[in-house]
Amino acid sequence: MLSEKQEWLSQAADNKPVTPEQLSALLTQAELQQTVQRYQLTGAIMRNEADSVLPVDFSDKFASLLEQEPTYQLQTQRSLLQKMKMGVRQAANAEWFKPAAHGAIAASVALVAVLGVQQYQQPLEADLSMPSPVLQTRPVAGFATPVSLSQTSVDSRFEAQEQQAMQEQQRRLQALLQAHRQQVRITEAQPTAAPTAEQEPREYK
Amino acid sequence: MMKWLFGMCCLVVLNVVMPVYADGTGWVLFDKVQGSVRQHNFDVSYVVLKGGQAETYRWLHGRDGEADIEHLIPMFAEGVDIVRRNDRVYYLLAERPSLITRSERIKELPALLFEDPTKIRKLYDAVAGSSSMIDGRSAQLLRLSAIDETRYHYWLWVDVETGFPLRIDTLAEQDQSRQNRALETWQVTHLRITPEMPGSLAQLLTIELPDTSSAETTASASPQQHELNWLPAGFEIIPEPLHVPQLTPEVLSYWLLSDGLHQVSVFVQRSHQLPTQAYRDGAVTIFVQSDAQRDITVIGPINVDVAQRLAAAVR
Repeated sequence: MLSEKQEWLSQAADNKPVTPEQLSALLTQAELQQTVQRYQLTGAIMRNEADSVLPVDFSDKFASLLEQEPTYQLQTQRSLLQKMKMGVRQAANAEWFKPAAHGAIAASVALVAVLGVQQYQQPLEADLSMPSPVLQTRPVAGFATPVSLSQTSVDSRFEAQEQQAMQEQQRRLQALLQAHRQQVRITEAQPTAAPTAEQEPREYK
Repeated sequence: MMKWLFGMCCLVVLNVVMPVYADGTGWVLFDKVQGSVRQHNFDVSYVVLKGGQAETYRWLHGRDGEADIEHLIPMFAEGVDIVRRNDRVYYLLAERPSLITRSERIKELPALLFEDPTKIRKLYDAVAGSSSMIDGRSAQLLRLSAIDETRYHYWLWVDVETGFPLRIDTLAEQDQSRQNRALETWQVTHLRITPEMPGSLAQLLTIELPDTSSAETTASASPQQHELNWLPAGFEIIPEPLHVPQLTPEVLSYWLLSDGLHQVSVFVQRSHQLPTQAYRDGAVTIFVQSDAQRDITVIGPINVDVAQRLAAAVR
């Protein structure tokens, strides 16, 4: 009899179906409940779930803690947001509020605009201030071809006041490079032959 | 003893004959390359790699009896078409006046593919090298080694089947024991050789292009204010009348030098007291030397030492 009782209790502990009679017995008899609890604890330990299992007396302890908790008297208070809303609602009816609101909106728009411009300008300024070793191509003569000029030897004088001059020189070099290319285009590759009239550059309009 | 002597003699003879033989084979291969770009009808795409930058071109060529037409399209420059019909080269620019020159070749194409081989033989030794694969095609290496060590060298990879150049590297120095780094690489990315002229060229052959007879000269010759008293080996000054480029600041003196294959410009302008600098655009060196009176700028496919010496030779 004992073994039969333990068998269905064990099955119940493993979430197997139980008959209504067994269920009502389990709900009414504290002894059976403790047995099921032990079985579940054993199973949990075997499945290495011991940490997740609450102590047997968890509910009792929690109930006693709740009893010891002091009672707080909560008062109805408006939140800060509600207070601000109320303040604005009152102010919106006042004559002084409308021009002040317009001014505030205008100021915030201006602030965003200034911040935005600063943010957009920063990378541009950074580009300009950096001494770029790469010449950018400008169509000076003929047609533009991209150049990838890498600096091979430069005097180490990169003072701030010289950077402007460096950029100016790069522009001049681009113009000279394009002029060189144009000369090569229009010149016959006969170093000893004098150019004829037809070798001169001609522009067709 | 006799066998040993005979073996030694054979080795000596081989050592003498082999370079000559290799040289001869190299020039035969070089002639094949030049013949290929002049005779074939083709539609080619190629890229010019200069450091980290790449320029892409499409190059079409057609030959029909006496008519010889070439069309070069720089893919990176919108609205530019370069057309050569026989000995006229037209730079057709969108919304700008066209430039028309008289030349047997388009100057934007590698000069060594078109220049007179007798000139190139004075400057280079041609040595045929090993075979490899370029773009899935069997290619043979052809090294053009500069006789004067200050000049740049060229390594060509030639399509075995057609003789068409598949790749040209420009090298400042060549050393068999080291990995040579090209200053500039010209490489074919697409090659289509056809028995007939490409259709678009047949149309270009018949359309009316700008006529030089109605053109006007715009540049004028200016007297040189300085002298250039040294030239690199093999270079000569292209004689006057020469058109000094109209630039700002004004160019006080200008020389264009050529060795038949490369062109070098020397500009003299008023001084801006800037530091001496050297730049590179692929194989082209740009060297600036400044003193109290003048800025001298040397531009051309020469090494920095030669450019520096040229700048120092301006008086």
